[in-house]
Amino acid sequence: MKLADGQTATVVDKLGEGGQGIVYRVRLDSGEERALKWYFISLIKEPQRFYRHLESNIKVGSPAPEFVWPEQLTEWTADGTFGYVMKIFPSGYESFSKFLTAHAAFENVTAMVDAALNMVAAFNALHSKGYNYQDLNDGNFSINPANGKVLICDNDNIMGHGEYSGIEGKSGYVAPEVVRGEKQPDKLTDRYSLATLLFMLLVGNHPLEGARTVQIPALTNKFEKKIYGTKPLFIFDPNDDSNRPVRGLHQNAARMWKYFPSFIKDAFCRSFSQESLLNARGRLLEQDWFHVLVRLKSSIAQCPHCGEEIFLESDRPTVCQSCKKSVTPVGYFKFGKRSNLDVTVPIFKGVKLYDYHMNSSSEDFETVSAVVLEKPGKFGLQNKSALRWNLTTAGGKNYVCQPGAVQTLALNCKIDFGNRDIAQVVANS
Amino acid sequence: MGILDKAPMPGKLCAVIFLLDTSYSMQGAPIGTVNEAVEKILPELVSMNDEQPDSDIKVGMLTFDSEVKWIFGETGLVSPEEVRDSWNDLNVNGATSMGEAFSALNEKLSVKHGFMKEASCARAPVLFLLSDGEPTDDYQAGLQDLKENGWYKYAARVAIGFGTDCNDEVLVEFTGNRETVLHTDNVNELKKLIKFAVVTSSKVASRGKNISTDAENLEDADDNTQKTADAFKAQGSLIDNDDLSEWGAL
Repeated sequence: MKLADGQTATVVDKLGEGGQGIVYRVRLDSGEERALKWYFISLIKEPQRFYRHLESNIKVGSPAPEFVWPEQLTEWTADGTFGYVMKIFPSGYESFSKFLTAHAAFENVTAMVDAALNMVAAFNALHSKGYNYQDLNDGNFSINPANGKVLICDNDNIMGHGEYSGIEGKSGYVAPEVVRGEKQPDKLTDRYSLATLLFMLLVGNHPLEGARTVQIPALTNKFEKKIYGTKPLFIFDPNDDSNRPVRGLHQNAARMWKYFPSFIKDAFCRSFSQESLLNARGRLLEQDWFHVLVRLKSSIAQCPHCGEEIFLESDRPTVCQSCKKSVTPVGYFKFGKRSNLDVTVPIFKGVKLYDYHMNSSSEDFETVSAVVLEKPGKFGLQNKSALRWNLTTAGGKNYVCQPGAVQTLALNCKIDFGNRDIAQVVANS
Repeated sequence: MGILDKAPMPGKLCAVIFLLDTSYSMQGAPIGTVNEAVEKILPELVSMNDEQPDSDIKVGMLTFDSEVKWIFGETGLVSPEEVRDSWNDLNVNGATSMGEAFSALNEKLSVKHGFMKEASCARAPVLFLLSDGEPTDDYQAGLQDLKENGWYKYAARVAIGFGTDCNDEVLVEFTGNRETVLHTDNVNELKKLIKFAVVTSSKVASRGKNISTDAENLEDADDNTQKTADAFKAQGSLIDNDDLSEWGAL
């Protein structure tokens, strides 16, 4: 196969097959290996236009490293068949589908939350570049279960704002307004799909499949349209409990929902409210999800009674789902709001703060910048950042905490993390 | 944390049902091809279940000769693993009780008693008839009953004809669509046909609706056999890996 830049790609073997085409492993003249996606040309409505579309996406370039972006097209030929080359998936990644069929599982809770954050960050980058994905579903990304790194494939349907790829999308992931035929996929419908995927990633079931849908024997078009389009109902809708998870069938939802802190439940209730489902209003932006999920990440703590990892609420008791005992932190760090959403971290032994917390413009949720320590009768915050912190007590006394040092925490004190991002220590009564 | 120990998401039932002609006229290469293709398709169905969270493929298998027998599915559909692990080659024997086979299928395609008992949001069943198309009984009686069955109507129906003297008309009557009556005596091609029909069915039924305001045109919208026929046509190629060299000159 001749590539657009004149190199030859030689097919080595077959890597996979999808609805749109076949993916082969190819070797370039340079000796490098790539994946070649070769289209079933008969399935593409306007091949030449699609070719040009891919050409333009290649030119603009990948929005974020998570996207396995087309690198080069094969030469346009008279018979109109073509494909494109992209990087080969590195090892260690499992398709998201495998997580849903329980053939893959995260190694730890942090990896699971990081996967959600990486997905959100990738779609934020995509939308920030003016693109939208249009066909977001469980089949188009892979996750590393050890560290939550994400790779997004099938990027050929990504379109600029106002363009429509003609893709129908996978049912269950498509926004209700698209199912109802009211509009074509765009950024807003991507956000619905993203919320669905986040729900499936964290909670482990489909957000709209519960007691109501179980009664439907066959998923005919009529019912499909009803469940996902005209009469959708969130399984945890706070105002209507007629579609709750069914015991023995929606096992994860029934069991996992209780694990999550109130702000995550709120975010999902907002994403799948009747307002969102029927009028496409009130959906979380990617940046909203981002703040909510960083808050989730910095709520990971160990249950003092049984040692299980839990998501610890900042300002109220959390029941450990493993030992059923209640855990309440002494207090929490309260940061300035971001995107009008609360940012808090419970003061509890072992809880981590990230670069995100040190600087209100940081989006780094991986670099640990502080760790909460506990000694009999007191809590401290160890400075793992390179910044000098300034603490002011309620009485107006000032302390400086150098990198590496531990700052004892006092009621109602304020900590300036060096970037004027100030957190207040709030006690739980 | 218990939150990592997730159960598999409940997949939507995708019943894959084979009606296999084991009458004497299938002796020799035809039954050999069927045996080989079925044996080879089973591991693929297993891995499809691993990879597709939203579909749960379950298998039923009926043989018909002088006797009609559910070799898998007598007490309900079974997992492809179970069939794979206890599969034995079929032997031919006697006459072709196709009508009786249709009646047996009709009985099982039911929510009240049979395969669809626990069906919830089930995908279109995929019905395969593998035969040389020469029934020796009154197949019409069984077929007419079957045609009234809602699951039959909803299903993607595919027939594979064997032998040069194959009576296609009977097969077409079963599928209700000439385009899903296919012929092959090649094991790999047959395996691919089966796989493709299953993939297509789990996909056609899982695609969102076209952008259309024509909301109530459901008869056509649910013709899963026609959708399968369209997909066969669009696919264009069912060749095996070994044939790749012929593609090099593009």
